[in-house]
Amino acid sequence: MTSREKILTRLSGSMSTPETKPGLGFEPSDHPDLLESFVASLKAAGGEAILVEDPERLDERIRDTFLGTESLIDTRRDDTVDLETMKGCRLAVFEAAFGVAENGAVWIDPRERSPHALLTLAENLAIVLDRRTLVPTMHEAYARIDFDGISYALFLSGPSKTADIEQALVIGAHGAIGLKIFLL
Amino acid sequence: MIDHARNAAEFLNDPERAHWHDRALWFVREKRDKAARSVPEWEELRKSAEALKAHTLEHLGYYLQRFEERAKANGIEVLWAEDAAEFRRLVAEILQQHDATKVVKSKSMLTEECELNPHLESQRIEVTDTDLGERIVQLAGDRPSHIVLPAIHMKKEDVARVFAEHLHTDPDNPDPHYLTRAAREHLRQKFLEADAAITGVNFALAEEGAFVVCTNEGNADLGTALPDLHIACMGLEKVIPSAKELGIFTRLLARSATGQAITTYTSHFRRPKPGGRLVVVLVDNGRSRLLAEEHKKLLSCIRCGACMNTCPVYRRSGGHSYGTVVPGPIGSALAGARDPERFASLPFACTLCGSCDQVCPVRIDLHRQLYSERREVVRVPEYRGKVRGLKTAAFLLRHPRLYAAMMGLGRVLLPRIPRRLLYNRFNLWGREREMPMPAEKSFNQIYRERKR
Ligand code: SF4
Repeated sequence: MTSREKILTRLSGSMSTPETKPGLGFEPSDHPDLLESFVASLKAAGGEAILVEDPERLDERIRDTFLGTESLIDTRRDDTVDLETMKGCRLAVFEAAFGVAENGAVWIDPRERSPHALLTLAENLAIVLDRRTLVPTMHEAYARIDFDGISYALFLSGPSKTADIEQALVIGAHGAIGLKIFLL
Repeated sequence: MIDHARNAAEFLNDPERAHWHDRALWFVREKRDKAARSVPEWEELRKSAEALKAHTLEHLGYYLQRFEERAKANGIEVLWAEDAAEFRRLVAEILQQHDATKVVKSKSMLTEECELNPHLESQRIEVTDTDLGERIVQLAGDRPSHIVLPAIHMKKEDVARVFAEHLHTDPDNPDPHYLTRAAREHLRQKFLEADAAITGVNFALAEEGAFVVCTNEGNADLGTALPDLHIACMGLEKVIPSAKELGIFTRLLARSATGQAITTYTSHFRRPKPGGRLVVVLVDNGRSRLLAEEHKKLLSCIRCGACMNTCPVYRRSGGHSYGTVVPGPIGSALAGARDPERFASLPFACTLCGSCDQVCPVRIDLHRQLYSERREVVRVPEYRGKVRGLKTAAFLLRHPRLYAAMMGLGRVLLPRIPRRLLYNRFNLWGREREMPMPAEKSFNQIYRERKR
């Protein structure tokens, strides 16, 4: 018998196909002002929201916010990037599909367009998000995602961080040190 | 047998450090409370999580097979390991097939449980733990003392000393910011050189054939980004029905663990990268046996660490005192269920206050589990004396006259016995406590006098 068979034999009492599964049984909390909640949650996660009122001026706003963007990679335009360029990348621009008000997380699915290494190698991230896509909680968030076609995708909430030394919060562990979300 | 009380006494030898440990963890507990209170439906969420875990365990065989089938359809290889030894062998074999000699690993309690690192190192494969806390204990030649905060037993000065030795930082600069930056540089190099990545799994999705890894540092994401080979290690209990349920679990996990609304990186892996290889190893190592027992509910644990942060015993005894990979209430309960002989002292490392039950996001009745394990573990020879003592007490309590006579004797003798004699080595109660001095008259005596 293979290990697989042995384990499944021991699990033979739990092989039946479930007929129903427990549902939510409650209404997720409401966030009356999605934008306000999102901005506050993002701040708590160490990130910053920047409201862009004029979409025409988005690129300008990104450049102004991160002064000196010599080593910028914009995944909305450059589709493949080599490792050497990514290693020195000071700012990477990503587009997020939607955001979550309760925790400031955004859903990023880089697909084959950009290597997923860039998300963690870039020192700073500028994320472009349409404010009309905000959802209140993770329940609505997962209801939106179509997993078909995804290979690696994530919810990202603020810059990378750690508190492993005496519980002192340090922003910038392995991934981005700064993260700003530009809300259109 | 692991003697928790003795190990705890050692931890308490340094009262200042012990006090700091206690307070640091209580601070995390308070952050959890704040985060939980910010969600009006928190209790409903916990109930849903509990029901879903119970449902999944009820159909564990089904969901695991479903996960396997769907993951394979996505191009993920799925392997099964009966025990720690087979798991170690499988992982080493895969790495050897790729001539991988440098591996970056993100946090996985399972690989600790199965002692993967020493095995790989014996095969000349270098494993770098990339979670900062785990890297600190790895460099220090130590073990994690908490499942979410692996280096919580170390002070920043300890870290400065370890880093000075291994990363050539300034031994006199214990600034967490400075030390974290040094680790970032050091580990960045390791990430860039790695031939393969090993990660744990927080949730495996049966319906989507995908899995989720949660970190704050981004180490699982950076680790898996560059090498072509990614091995994900998961215990059988990590599977959930589908992505839909992730709404519940992602809302609970980080709030319970650190008081954050969600982990910084909640990453979903569904397919190997083009030309790459993605392997999931499903590990049993005693889990399927636990499923058949009354302690089945322990398999619902999502490893948030909240029960440790709240536990008055854990906070004052330190994770190492448990002698287990997973310490604290859940660790004691798991160890007691698996090996009651070896871990007989752990179900007693509990005040039965029930605080852990109240914070557990999946509502495991931890203190009840520990209480019921006490009945099993008292059978070990080490507890013969205790059992005899309790039996004698039970006998006395069943015989009121004899009891009254003994108490009368005690009232006369106790105040007269010299301290040295009273606190002898058979007096277990007196080891950490003062004996109560008896009142001059018994309750019955006073009662009789008043009635007259
Ligand atoms: S038993 Fe509950 S509180 Fe403790 S680590 Fe597991 S999920 Fe968290």
